[in-house]
This record gives sequence, structure tokens and C-alpha cells, in this order.
Amino acid sequence: MKDIKVMKSLKPQFNKNLIYTRLGYRRNTTRLNQYEQTNIDYLIDLTENTLNIVAAYRIINILRIDPPYIVLEDQTCLKGKKLSKLLTGCDQALIMFATGGQKIIDLIVNLQKENRLSDAVVVDAAASEITDSALDIVMAHVAHNIRPLGQILTDMRFSPGYGDFDLSQQAELFRILDAEKFGVSLNEAFMLTPEKSVFAVAGIGRMKTGGIND
Amino acid sequence: MTKKDFKKLFDKKIVLLDGGMGTLLQKYGMPSGVCPEKWAAANPELLKKAHENYVKAGSDIIYTFTFGANPIKLADFRLSDETYEINKKLASIARETSKEVLVAGDISSCGSLLVPFGDIEFETAVNSFKEQVKGLLAGGVDLFVIETMMDIQEARAALIAVKELCDLPVIVTMTFEGERTLMGSDPVTVLVTLQSLGADAVGCNCSTGPAEMVDIIKKMKPYAKVPLIAKPNAGKPRLESGQTVFDMDAGYFSSYSRALVEAGVNGLGGCCGTTPEHIRKINEIRDNLKPVSVERKPYSVVCSNRRYIEIHPSLPFTVIGERLNPTGKKALKEAILNQDMEYIADIAREQTEAGAVMLDVNAGVPGVNEKDVLPAMVQAVTNAVSAPILLDSSDPEALEAALRIYPGRAIINSISGEKEKLEKLLPLAQKYGAMFILLPVNDEGVPESAQERINIIKDVYREARKFGFKKEDILVDGLVMTVASDKNAAIETLKVISWCNKRYKVNTTIGLSNVSFGLPAREFINMSFLLMAISNGLSTAIMNPNNENIIQFVRAGDVLTARDKNAINYIKHYSGKTKAGNEKPAFKKNEKNLYDAIIDGDKEAVPELIRQELISGTLPEDIIDNTLVPAIQKVGDLYERKVYFLPQLIRGAEALERAMAILEPEIAKDEKNIPEKAGKVVIATVKGDVHDIGKNIVAMLLKNHGFNVIDLGKDVDSKLIIDTARENNADIIALSALMTTTMSQMPRVMEMVKKEGLPCKILVGGAVLDKNYADSFGAFYASDAYSGVKLAQKLIKNKNSEA
Repeated sequence: MKDIKVMKSLKPQFNKNLIYTRLGYRRNTTRLNQYEQTNIDYLIDLTENTLNIVAAYRIINILRIDPPYIVLEDQTCLKGKKLSKLLTGCDQALIMFATGGQKIIDLIVNLQKENRLSDAVVVDAAASEITDSALDIVMAHVAHNIRPLGQILTDMRFSPGYGDFDLSQQAELFRILDAEKFGVSLNEAFMLTPEKSVFAVAGIGRMKTGGIND
Repeated sequence: MTKKDFKKLFDKKIVLLDGGMGTLLQKYGMPSGVCPEKWAAANPELLKKAHENYVKAGSDIIYTFTFGANPIKLADFRLSDETYEINKKLASIARETSKEVLVAGDISSCGSLLVPFGDIEFETAVNSFKEQVKGLLAGGVDLFVIETMMDIQEARAALIAVKELCDLPVIVTMTFEGERTLMGSDPVTVLVTLQSLGADAVGCNCSTGPAEMVDIIKKMKPYAKVPLIAKPNAGKPRLESGQTVFDMDAGYFSSYSRALVEAGVNGLGGCCGTTPEHIRKINEIRDNLKPVSVERKPYSVVCSNRRYIEIHPSLPFTVIGERLNPTGKKALKEAILNQDMEYIADIAREQTEAGAVMLDVNAGVPGVNEKDVLPAMVQAVTNAVSAPILLDSSDPEALEAALRIYPGRAIINSISGEKEKLEKLLPLAQKYGAMFILLPVNDEGVPESAQERINIIKDVYREARKFGFKKEDILVDGLVMTVASDKNAAIETLKVISWCNKRYKVNTTIGLSNVSFGLPAREFINMSFLLMAISNGLSTAIMNPNNENIIQFVRAGDVLTARDKNAINYIKHYSGKTKAGNEKPAFKKNEKNLYDAIIDGDKEAVPELIRQELISGTLPEDIIDNTLVPAIQKVGDLYERKVYFLPQLIRGAEALERAMAILEPEIAKDEKNIPEKAGKVVIATVKGDVHDIGKNIVAMLLKNHGFNVIDLGKDVDSKLIIDTARENNADIIALSALMTTTMSQMPRVMEMVKKEGLPCKILVGGAVLDKNYADSFGAFYASDAYSGVKLAQKLIKNKNSEA
């Protein structure tokens, strides 16, 4: 579809601490020696170099919001109380997704085959965090593009599977972004392959100036 | 305005720019969703009013309101055809506002991403910006400003567009999200790339407030040859009661001016949310603000779009990977012929993982059009790794094609004293801001003596200075010839390196492996020569980084020549190892005992420690009972207390697994010694669920703790789980699910267990599950892998006591 924008070869900035947190690291409690720290940092670098992140997004008008339902211009109906709240006051929804590609999944599988499950766990966590960070790029890019037009993007985004924004809604987002074209598939349980793929929704509203003085 | 006048202006004072125009015009009535530039052109009085307010506030330079007036962006409003007229008109309005201020023609992003991030080709972007530049020139601008760029490549495209149409000064400011631009460039990389390419001032605008910009400017300043600019937002916009509010009022905003100037700013203004009042407040205090001068770092600096490298004899030695040169490499030749860029990318990754910080790229294969292939290789390497590159070609057209699309500052390898090459390549290096390797060869051939080479170096540098090059823009090639044909070859090269280092103060490089050509055991010659050259002050070498030994000598050499201050890099790399290696970090094999090896997760040490135990007469079953079991229990305890986190728990389990793989065959030699299993577990990730790493962890830990585990894998049909449990008389069925959509398979398995009357318990776990859900269908819930093991042990214990 013409209005789907694609972003390739993305190298997101990410917070390394969040990868450690995903792995159960507790500041001031968990003890790491120099070797372990170096090894984990090595694996994070390896993950970064192996990921081939592609993202896509589409801006679509919101027809109406009747919480918990959000009806989009193309008659897609999304459902979620928190999502409705997020999008209240917004004219448009930003539908976005990012995938880390198949190569990173192959790496995780191969590490397990080589009896390196501890390394695979680190790569798995790093890949999730970095792929999710690619959506920060999408949001910042869109925010910059819409600001001159007097529009503003919500700070937050919601992904299917969190809160009452059911995972089954992934199918709607998958269709809106024609994600199959990017080598991603969705199974009957609404799970994505390659695994390191993520969808999200944010809102776009109109900027009303009033907080500044001439 | 000339570039010289521009420089003078910034030398004498803090130059005041304007503030936000978009938010101001919205306040004057510009509706949202319209084409801002078209609206402004239709409302010239309001636009003029906005400009006038900034002039009154004290701005020295005002920006035309042409931020998005490039044909690609205007296409969103079907206005591409009006690019020239819109730009001309808006520039004219700014020009008419005041004759006392300078008018900068404003260019920003085309809104779509350039290759490789998007589909806009580099030349398409350049041509698009050129359309805009023509209109702005016709409108009478004094200079140009390229602003709010998120991708360094797009900033380059705009800068090249301006440079190819006029000689007016250009300010380029990029927008940073945290410490980098959206596409990953750090402040120094941005500065080095843009000032080398000919920007007359560089800096940052938008996205952040002034406090964050202080740090960005501080990072740029020690490398800056041009004035630095900061145009922050008035804080971050947020929605408050339906109104967009910027946090900083004018007084608070201007209070950061001193900090920005002290960080190194020469030009100040504002971006989103700032108003003429913000600018007026800065103007009130700017007489007290003087530009600061900071001692510039004396290093040569090159960069990709994501990383910069400093080169200097006092800094750690720079290893340049040579493996992307097809000479003598059949597979690479074929890859180049077939344009197999994934292969090229893999070689790039391999070299950087081995220790190369820059990469030489050469497309010289007979029958290949270098002009097409070299840029493709450059693109592939740049996408794969962050290491800056050397463009290794003698074809000026290929070099220009590659330099044009390289999103950083490259090095041309090489420019010699040969007249024709000099004449063609120096202007090219100048235009694209590249460094170059000075090859001391001239039309008379390769000089043998050091003195002859030194004379050529001086000659070439004299010519280069005419194009504005300084010594820091050059790497001199010591010119290594093989000692197999000339016994003095290495000595002469060392003399050149020494002279460059001590007398001429210029950085150096060598093509290392040439020295040993034609000799056996080349590695010894290469290593010895490299260390001799390093001790004479060699800055860089083009070499094979995959040779682990040489890389280790380089690291050691850096310590011994005080280039690795306090041996920080060396210690970081080798701490915990007794044997150096550039592979994945390995544990040191010291006097560790088996118990500690399990606790440390040091699986590499386990086989030898087990062997020692067995030789000393310890029975295998005693090793298990007295060492391994207590050790893995300790690991579990540390994990439960969060002293260990997940990778450490699994490493312990892996070490134990390796130990058991050795001991179990020993125990099996005598059947009566085979210990009874703790219980039998059938484990699976449920139907529809493809995530199995969590399940694999549980399976490993269960095996560690003596369970007989039958792992059915992922996406497993419920019937297969039940059939396997029945056939194997399982005690426990352990099920994993990651998603809400797949966890519903778990109650189904429970139903089937009940229907079949199987005596097994069901243990469940996974990210979205909780105890309530497990309770709802009578399963046992484990919150993490280790608690799953403890629960399994408890279930077996209860079962045994019931029996």
C-alpha cells in the first residue's frame, strides 16, 4: 500500500540496563565479575550486529472512539480501554511495527544447539530490547515530520498483548501494515515469526498553542 | 556574504539567530494540517510580522520560512511544481523584512528516508534540495542553513546541493535524541563529517532543551574547526488540558546561554516553542558572553556515520582490516563479480570482531566496473559495521562515486606524487572532505631510499596545502617493500616512519604483509616488523586482523609504548584470562576446584577438574553427591537471593551438564551404581506457541537436578503430550506458554489428563501466566525456571510420601 512507510537497516539506540533488567539483574544485589560483564557486553554487540531491523508505519485517520473501541477510517476496529484513553483527543493513529529479521533467530537457535543456552538467553533478551527500541525511531521520525504541520504525537505507544489490548488485535495491525511483505507471518495463536517482531499503536493530535507568550 | 565575512562575524561575538517560527505562526492563526509554506506565502503580512519580531528581539540572522519547501516534502500537498516559486517568495519576504540582518535560506528534511534506511536515492535527494536552493538564491538569501536533520546522509545531500550551486556560507545543525541523532550519529561524527564536507558552522537544533545541548556542544568543541551553533527547544512539548505547552519561559531558557557559550557555542537561537521574547532575553545578556576557545585535539579524525576514530602516535594503534581487497582472494573476487554484498558484509563483520577499527575496501577485479561496484561495497560495509573505511582505488570516477555516497569521512587510499593522479585526486579529496594516504611515489617510480621518499612527501604536501589540507588530514605510507628482494627495504621504511613521527609530525601507515612477501613463515617477519614500526611511532597499519597473534602483539605494544594509558584496554580485554585471545572471552583456568567451577559456570574448566578427581580415586557417585549437588544447590540459592541473575544460573547448569556428561558413562559401567532418577517429566511448549527458550532453561535445570526429562519441543499438540506422558509413565507434565492466546491450551491438556486418568501433575509457567490462572484448572504454577525445579521436587516428594 502506498501510504505504508518503510524504514530499513535501523540501528536503534537502546538502554543496555534494560537488557540486564530483562535477565533479572538487580542493581546493588546481583554480582557480576569482569569476565561475565565482558561476555554479556560481547553478546549484546553480537546481537546488534546480527539484527537486520526493518520497521514500517502507517498513519490512519480515527473515525471515532467509543471506549473501549477505536474505529479507524478503513473500518478497522481496535479494542482496549487504555488504548482508547491514549488515543482520546487524537485525530489519527500511528500503526507501526518492527522486525529484527530471521538471522537473529538463527543465531539464538544455533547457540542453543551448541549448548550455549546461557549465551542464547542474553542474545534473546538483547534482540527483544533492541527491536522494540526501533519503534522509538519510528515515533521520533513521525513526531518530527508532523510537528511543522501543527500536530503532536503521544509520548506512549501500546502493543497488543499488554493490558486489555488483546494479542488477537495483532491480526488487524498485521493487515493494516501488510506485514507479510516484510517476511513476517502470524500464526493462528497470533504469534509472529520471526519471533523478534513487534507491533504498536500511538496517537496523533493537533497542537494547540497557548502555553507560550508572544 | 562570503565565507570569510561569515567567519569574521562569528569570531567577534556570539551571533544571535532567530527562534521558533512554526509555533509562532500557529499562534498567529496558521491552522494545523495545511502546508505551512504555502500558507505563509499566502499570508505574507503575518510571516513578515514574525520575522520582524525576531529582528526587533535582536537576531543577527533570520531563517526563511522554507523548512519543508523541498519538492519531495511538497509532494505531500501536490505542490512540488511550485518549489522554486514558494522558496523565492518566502526568501523575498524575509529579505524585505530588514536590510540590517542576514537572511539564511532554510532547508530541512525531505520527510522520507534516504537509502539505506528508506527508498530515496542519494542523488534524488541532492537534486530535490537543488530545486529548493535555486528558489532561495533567487529570493536573495545571504547564506544557507540546513537544520533539524536526523540522518547525516540527508544533511550531506543538502550540503552538497548548496555547494554545487553557490559559494555562500552554510550552517548545518542536526537534531539529537539523547546522545545521538535518530539514525545513530554521535556529535563528534556529525561535526567531523560536516565540517570536512565544507559546512561553515555546525551544531544542533530541536528535539531537546538547552541543558541537553550543553553536553552535545561540549563533545563537539575539541574537534571543531568551525563555529558551533545551538538552537534548542523551549523544553519538550507536552499536552496539558488540551493545550501544547513548552516548559521553559523566556527567562529560564536564556539562563542556559552562559552554559552553552562556555561549552563552546558561537551562535545561539531557539527552536520549537521559543518566541521573540526568548531571543530578546538572550540578547539582553549577550554582551557579557564571549566565544570561548578550546584547544583543539591534534588528532586525525575519520568517521563512518556511527563512529569516529582518532589517529595519533600517542593513541592506541589503529588496525585497518585488509581483507576486503580481492588481490589473491578467489572467494572475494567471485563475490565482487556476483555483487554478493552479504559476503562482503560478513567479511567486514569478521574483521571488526577480530579487532580492526577501520576497513580498507577495494573493488579492483578485472572486468568489474569499479564505479558501480565500489559504492555498492561501501554501502554494504557501512550497513554491516560502524568502522570507518579507506577507499582503495586509483580510479577517480570510482572514488568520486564512493565518496559521494559515503555517510562519513573516508580516507582515499592513496594519492601519490604522480602528476596526473595529484591533479585529479586532490580536488576530489577536497570536495568531499576526505583524508588521504600520501604514497611517496612519483612519476619516476618507487624511490628506494628514505630521503627520496621524504622529498616526495614534502612535494605532495606542498600541493595539498593549496587545497586547504593540513598535516592532520594525511596519513603517510611508509611504503613497505619486501625484504626478500631488498635487504634494506624495512630499514628505509622505518626511517620514513621515524622522520614522519619525530620531525614532520604527520601520521603514518604501512601495508604490513608486503614486508614478508616471498619468505617462509611470514608471520614472524610481519610481527617483528610491526613492533619495530610501532616503536618508531607508526600510527596505523593495513593488515590482517584475523591473525590473532598479531592483534595480541598490537595490544601489548600499546601498553609498552604508553599508548594504552594505564593499560586500561589491555586489562579490560584480558582480565580473567591467562592466555590471550581475541575470541569470545574465556575463563581463566587457575587453581579453581570443581565446586567453584560449577558455581562460576566455568564449563571449560570442568572436564580437567573431573579428570583430576577421578585420577585421585574419587568415585563418580561421590563427585556428584559431595561436590556437584551442593554446588548446583548453591547456584540456585544465589539465584533465589538475586545475587545471580539468569545467565549465571544457566551457566552453572551448563557446567553441571558437562560434568554429568563425563560422569554418567563412568557410573553406567556398574549398573548397581546408577542413581534413581528424581522423577520423570514430559516438557513441552504448548500448541501454537513458538517461543521455547524458557522451556529449554527449565528442561536443563530439571536434568541438572536428577529428573528424567522428555523434551517434546515447541508448538506441541496436546495429544502428543498426553500420549508421551502415558507411554513413559510420567510423574509431571511441564507446560510453557508465552502468550495469552496460547496459554488456553494448558487447561485442555489438564482435561485430557483427567479424562485419561493419568496420575501425573501439571506444572505450568510462562510470561503471561500467574498462580490464579494455574489454580483455575488445577495446575501448579512456577514463576521462573528455578522455582519450577523446586516445585517439581516438592511434587515428587509429596507423591512419594503419599505412596
